[in-house]
Amino acid sequence: MKVQEFMTTRIEFINADGSVYEVIEKMVDKRIRSLLVKLSEKDNDYGVITARDVVFKVMAKSIDPKNVKAREIASNPLVYIDQDMDFNEAATLMKKANISRLIVCDDKKIVGVVAMMDVMSAALIKRARRDYDL
Amino acid sequence: MIFDKVLSHGKKEQKVIENIQRHIKLLCYACDLFKRALEQHDRNLMRKVIDLEREGDSIRREIISSVYKGAFLPYLRPDLCKFVEIVDHIFDLLEDNAYHYIDIELPEQIDDECIRVAFLNLRICEILMITFKAMLKGEDLREKTLAIRIYEKKIDDIKMNLIREVRKVRVDTFWEGKILSDFISYLTMISDVIEDASDHLQIINLSYQIT
Repeated sequence: MKVQEFMTTRIEFINADGSVYEVIEKMVDKRIRSLLVKLSEKDNDYGVITARDVVFKVMAKSIDPKNVKAREIASNPLVYIDQDMDFNEAATLMKKANISRLIVCDDKKIVGVVAMMDVMSAALIKRARRDYDL
Repeated sequence: MIFDKVLSHGKKEQKVIENIQRHIKLLCYACDLFKRALEQHDRNLMRKVIDLEREGDSIRREIISSVYKGAFLPYLRPDLCKFVEIVDHIFDLLEDNAYHYIDIELPEQIDDECIRVAFLNLRICEILMITFKAMLKGEDLREKTLAIRIYEKKIDDIKMNLIREVRKVRVDTFWEGKILSDFISYLTMISDVIEDASDHLQIINLSYQIT
C-alpha cells in the first residue's frame, strides 16, 4: 500500500515567528495534531510542531506560550518521502530516524503527512485485505 | 460446519449469494467509474454511473424476489433483504451525485479532496466485498469491519475540511449552493452507509452461527 493512499493531505502551516499560543489556537481550532513551520525562504526548509512539542517544551515548563516563538520549539530537519513509498518502508524509516511524522512529496511539492496513526491504520487495512485479491 | 450447510446447499440460496456478490461487484465498478469521471472531468462517464444504478436496481429486485420465493430460512430473510437494500442505497447516492455533477461545475479548490473521497469510497467498497466473501467462508469479520471503520473515519476528517472550504465558495443562486452542498453530503455519506452495510453483515454472520 502506497503512502499516498492513506496519508493526511490536510496540512496546516504557521509563521515561524508566530507564537506558540497561535500554534495551540490553530491546533484546537482545526482539530489537528501537527503544524508545519516555514523556517526560511530556502526550498523545503520546514520544521514541524506537534502537540507533544507544545506540552513538553512549553506547558510542562510553565512558560507563557505567548512568549515563545514557533521556530523555537519546531523540530527540524524533516524527513521527506515520495508519495509512492510503501507504508512498510515508511514505518522502517520512522523507526530508523526515531520520528513520528514523515512529510510526503510529489516531486518537490509537499502533498501530505504520514503520522504513526496513519501507519497503524494502513497496517490494519492491509491485514483485512490479505488473502483476498480483487 | 453449520455455516456451510446454510450457505452452500440449495440452488436457490446459491443463486442469491451469487447475485449479492454481483451486486457488490457492480457497486465497486460504479465507485471506480465515479472516481474516474471526477478525475477526468468526464460527464459522459458520469452518465454511465446512472446506468449502473439501474442495473443495480434490477439485481436487487431479483435477489429480493428469490429470497421471498423461499431461499433461506424465513427468519434470515429480512436481514438479507435489509443488507441488499443498504447496498442499493449506496447506488442511489452515487446516482444522485452523478446527476449533481452533470449539473454543476465543481470548484477547483475542492476538486482534489473530492477525488480523494471518491478513491476512498472505492477502497471501502472493496473491503465490503471482502467482508461478504469472508462471511461466506465463515471467517471472523472483526478485522474487515475495523478496516471499514478506519476508512470511514478518514473520510469524516476530509468531510470537515471540505465543508470549511466550500463555505468560501461564492455561489450565484440558491440552487447552485444547494446542489454543491448536496454533492459533498452524498459523496461523504457513502462511507457511512457502507459502514451500516458491514455492521449488517456482522448481524447476518451472527445469525448464521446461532442457526
